[in-house]
Amino acid sequence: MPIDDQAMRSLVEESEDLQVDALRDARQMNEELRDVGAARAGRPVDVDEAEAYALGRRKLLKAGGLGMGVLASSGLLATGWGQRVAAIVQAPAQAGVPVDIQIFQTASSLENLAVATYGAALQLPFIQENAVVKTFAETTMRQHAEHGAAFNAQTVSLGGARQDGTNPKYTPIVEAAKPTLTDAVAVAKLAATLEEVAADTYLANLSLLSDGNKRLLMGSVLGVETQHLATLRAVIALIEGGAPQLVAIPTDLAALPAAAGSVSFPAPFEEPQMASPPEEGAL
Amino acid sequence: MSNDPIQDAESQDVELSDAQPETGGFARRSAMAAAAGGVAAAAAALFAGTRSGARPTVTAAGDTPAAPAARPAPVAVPAPALQAAPTEADLMIANLAAGLEILAVNTYGAALSAAGSGALGAVPPAVAEFVTVAQQQHQAALDAWNGVLTAAGKPAVSAPPSELEASVNAQFGQVTNAGGAAQLALMLEQVAADTYLGALSKLSSPAAINLAGSIYPIDRQHISVLLFALGMYPVPEVFGTTKMAYSGSGGMTAAMVPPTR
Repeated sequence: MPIDDQAMRSLVEESEDLQVDALRDARQMNEELRDVGAARAGRPVDVDEAEAYALGRRKLLKAGGLGMGVLASSGLLATGWGQRVAAIVQAPAQAGVPVDIQIFQTASSLENLAVATYGAALQLPFIQENAVVKTFAETTMRQHAEHGAAFNAQTVSLGGARQDGTNPKYTPIVEAAKPTLTDAVAVAKLAATLEEVAADTYLANLSLLSDGNKRLLMGSVLGVETQHLATLRAVIALIEGGAPQLVAIPTDLAALPAAAGSVSFPAPFEEPQMASPPEEGAL
Repeated sequence: MSNDPIQDAESQDVELSDAQPETGGFARRSAMAAAAGGVAAAAAALFAGTRSGARPTVTAAGDTPAAPAARPAPVAVPAPALQAAPTEADLMIANLAAGLEILAVNTYGAALSAAGSGALGAVPPAVAEFVTVAQQQHQAALDAWNGVLTAAGKPAVSAPPSELEASVNAQFGQVTNAGGAAQLALMLEQVAADTYLGALSKLSSPAAINLAGSIYPIDRQHISVLLFALGMYPVPEVFGTTKMAYSGSGGMTAAMVPPTR
């Protein structure tokens, strides 16, 4: 696969510069939020908050049954992976733990699983052999690690316990899928599903969180996860379309098929169809 | 009230926070429920978070999102909670968002016209496809926001922010090829995405938050495709930022240039 190593290194360096800037912003945000967290720590369960959460969750169910439509339309529902996802049902919110803390703990669990999954993918020989895919997996794994750290910092700021484990619902699904990861497309599809679960979860969380600063953090991560998803969709389409050589930077723009211009964003609105409930990864 | 909708929204947030639960909650009344028919109904449904899993369908630039053809069977839950009506501050942000969407629709339209006339030289098929679909999606977002405004008794927005439009037009005048058009599109998408992210922290009603939150990721995805088309890494940032957010008062929080070089 063609790749300009020097150009790629330069791009990654630029990315790392931007990461430093973004992390500085995130640290500043966390410092501002720490005061809010201190004010909320030890607060008894807010009945209105719990009611708002419950109503929001029912809306999620009503909106599409947590991704069944997506799984069915993509053909994944017929696969073992799809059936395992379909088997996930929501449980009631844990009593006594503020919803904000549950949300951030679950978010951390999803980020931890993403880190572990990309880490496992990087051990596969066909990932190591593809410089572009390998760079994407390494960079994305680092970004997920930063997301998890930010969510954990927020959890601690709110008086909750760090979530250093992987998501309990999706971890066994990923483990079951590992033997089927025999090529780059299979890995990309697994990663895309995890990215979509994370993005949809964070989207659903936006209106459940209790204030704007928390939404800002959640939204800032949501945007990046959807970019990971967009990139993976393009990679899958190009490889499945018989043009793996076009998964390359610098981009051969003239050679890209027309569909490459839109395959990454199939709808004008993102919907939280695959959202995990706040308590799924809560401690 | 200043000339800055975001600033005004912030000040209204403070006032509202004294009168409402911290959660922002789900109020028991809804002005949105009264909306019916055409764009207003489709947009109101979006805004109220009652999309029933059906995405609006946009068939061509300028078309409005179609109402879902079929709704799933009702779910056995207690009486549905009615969404809180958007606050005045929310509507100011909706107004700002609609203006930005118009600018995007118009700019992509101008790019399509220029490409059609040959003014941009050879346009790769993926670029033409991107511009066509991105324009449709921004039109859908515009229709959604205008539906929200009209459902709340406000006039629909029909023009972009004038000073931003002038700046974009000036830059578009210097575009001579598809790469230049992509660079300009990248800047516009970055402004839109950063503005939506900033708005997420300012909006009050859950429905307004959900709508902004559902549009923001799409703009981020547009950014990734444009970065790739321009030969750059598609996900360069660890966290989304508001550095290029448009304030609505004639300026942005940062210079109007893509941050990705």
